[in-house]
Amino acid sequence: MKKTRSLGALGAALTLTLALAACGGGDSGSGSDETAGGSGGTGDNTLTVWAWDPAFNIYALQEAEKVYQADHPDFKLDIVETPWDDLQTKLTTLAQSGETDQLPDIFLMQNNAFQKNVINYPDIFADFNDSTVDYSEFPESVVAYSTVDDTNYGVPFDNGTAIGAYRTDVLEQAGYTVDDFTDITWDQFLTLGKDVLAKTGKPLLTGQAGSSDMIMMMLQSAGASLFDDEGKPTITDNKALMSAIDMYGQLVKAGVFVEVNSWDEYINSIVNSATAGVVQGVWISGSIQSAADQSGKWAVTNVPKLDGVDGATNYTANGGSSWAISADGNTELASDFLDATFAGSTDFYDTILPKSGALANWLPAGESDVYNEPQAFFGGQPIYADVLKYAAKVPSNNTGAYYYEGRDAVSVAVTNIMNGADPASALAEAQSTVEFAMG
Amino acid sequence: MSAPTAPTEDRAPDALGQGTKKSRGHQSRPPAPPLSAIARRRSLTGWAFIVPAAAIIVLVNFWPMIQALFLSLKTGRGTRLHWAEPLWLNYQRLFQDENFRLTLGTTFLYLIIQVPIMLGIAMVLANLLNAPWLRFKGFWRTAIFLPCAVGLVSYSLVFRQIFATDGLANDLLMQFGILDDPVNWLGQTGTARMVIILGLLWRWTGYNMIFFLAALQNIDRSTLEAARVDGAGGFKTFWYVTMPQLKPIILLCAILSTNGTLQMFDESFNLTAGGPGNTTMSVSHYLYNVSFRNSPNFGYAAAISYAILIIVAILAAIQMKVGDKRD
Repeated sequence: MKKTRSLGALGAALTLTLALAACGGGDSGSGSDETAGGSGGTGDNTLTVWAWDPAFNIYALQEAEKVYQADHPDFKLDIVETPWDDLQTKLTTLAQSGETDQLPDIFLMQNNAFQKNVINYPDIFADFNDSTVDYSEFPESVVAYSTVDDTNYGVPFDNGTAIGAYRTDVLEQAGYTVDDFTDITWDQFLTLGKDVLAKTGKPLLTGQAGSSDMIMMMLQSAGASLFDDEGKPTITDNKALMSAIDMYGQLVKAGVFVEVNSWDEYINSIVNSATAGVVQGVWISGSIQSAADQSGKWAVTNVPKLDGVDGATNYTANGGSSWAISADGNTELASDFLDATFAGSTDFYDTILPKSGALANWLPAGESDVYNEPQAFFGGQPIYADVLKYAAKVPSNNTGAYYYEGRDAVSVAVTNIMNGADPASALAEAQSTVEFAMG
Repeated sequence: MSAPTAPTEDRAPDALGQGTKKSRGHQSRPPAPPLSAIARRRSLTGWAFIVPAAAIIVLVNFWPMIQALFLSLKTGRGTRLHWAEPLWLNYQRLFQDENFRLTLGTTFLYLIIQVPIMLGIAMVLANLLNAPWLRFKGFWRTAIFLPCAVGLVSYSLVFRQIFATDGLANDLLMQFGILDDPVNWLGQTGTARMVIILGLLWRWTGYNMIFFLAALQNIDRSTLEAARVDGAGGFKTFWYVTMPQLKPIILLCAILSTNGTLQMFDESFNLTAGGPGNTTMSVSHYLYNVSFRNSPNFGYAAAISYAILIIVAILAAIQMKVGDKRD
């Protein structure tokens, strides 16, 4: 009934907001005697972990558990499957209400949300100052996501390094090879794309309309961000951003980039051979490989770079996640576990790579044989070793606490620009939206 | 938590309810004899039944609402909240917030278009189902009501699939030659809003119809027969005899629908994800983003939720004023 609906509707937002109020003032305390469901530093050798993907990060945890058990037979992981949106909501709710003992010992966090959560809720994160994790073994740009004021709060897990993946059979029809797409600029890409479209009828790229994924990747490839070092929004007068939006517009207008409405349609366009290429975080390779009939027809290279922008490179990233440790949990054991597995075991990364496609950010993993094995699906190319080489060259991106506000505002601006709005004024509006949200 | 509050709950409804009701009763009616011992005990039994439920409602519903009011007067990010300066800062902020204005406008658009159409269709369907000549009534009734049994998220996802560029809607329309090229339903503001309204109609019409149907079946047949004897035709009977008797239930449905539409969240979140360019986002969706997606600003989020509450209250008051003229 309507009432049910109002409950459902605001169940997520209003009721929670209201309920939070009950504890938000900090007056009702945390009820520290309740340890049910949480980690609560039970003192034994069990760690509670929140992660969201059974085929990916949860699978990796289970393998890490086995690796760590070799030296610590009593060790156990209690993994709770928690989708990212729920994890963020739970985390916010618990942090806001002060019920931090309900948090797990370890939780996975989207790289883009990491700084936001650390800045807003510094008390719930344990830092890695006393840990033995060697951060020089991770790419700088990846460590930067979970670093606030030069303090490390996370261990990087999955790799978001961007790849340009192309259908070699389609390119061949148009008279090209993947080498023609390596180390190129977006202008060259546009010219090639028009030619491929004319000869084969296929666009080179697809993507979700109203999502600024592609633009954010272009931006990061030039080492630019939506915020400056002090965290102030730099959406106006941002040459890299202007250039990225302009290029995006040209790609869409030429039909080289076809916009679809949802993530499912995007994946379908890849799996159903509706596109000749993909530029996306390397995790997309899992979806690409779900089309078994396309085996051997894909090749991977780096991504195009922006023309005329200082610091432009052929390397960027999208997404990825890192492990965080709750300050209230068994921090010592948690940090030792992460150090011994996600930041220190080639065996571990060798196990999880073939089955889940979980590509390491931990650079030493790239030297192992498993990473250098040729991948039949990608025409015998050892793509994982290649991608790890790209990963080391990705410029850092400053996310800050207001990343989502900035990204959403830019998405709206891009939608309006595509519908004919003046770019400068649309971006000025985005800037003022973000400034308002920060105020 | 319940220990300290329980006694006050015991007293509150007692004092309030008993006091006002009794005095009003005494004034309007001829003087009644004082309550006998039995009557008093009965009254106490009644209260004993009401109090536990009332206490729970106060504790889990009204108490957080009061807390939220205080929260809406605070400002700051995350857990670093402090009293706003001035206290109504968050409410002032609402008037400068372009996103709030946009989402509120969109929500009102849904409300103004969807609720009248829905109640109209529901009324027609209810009358059809009430017609004596209709066969397989049970089947039709179930079929029309069934969408209500579908989860909000699942139906939103199904609608998203149907109206995808390569979805069922485009396939059918092109099959029948109505369209030449697929329409990007969810990619344009106008059509995306239309899809949301269609979704709301599909999901909620049957629900309101059941209310109307129940009310129709409660109408005294003799009034309809009297109208017929007086020479009134079908439409006149409906308009002058049936409709006035349905007024209270129409009012109820209108208020519930208004309330529901203003708090609409699932469709905006799942069907269109607020796009394109936030133009299909509902206020509640914006409220969620302010609390959980963006850098959390709970003081402001609470102010938004109070703004929705105030708007719902005003609209309900207007509807009651307009709709509840008893003659």
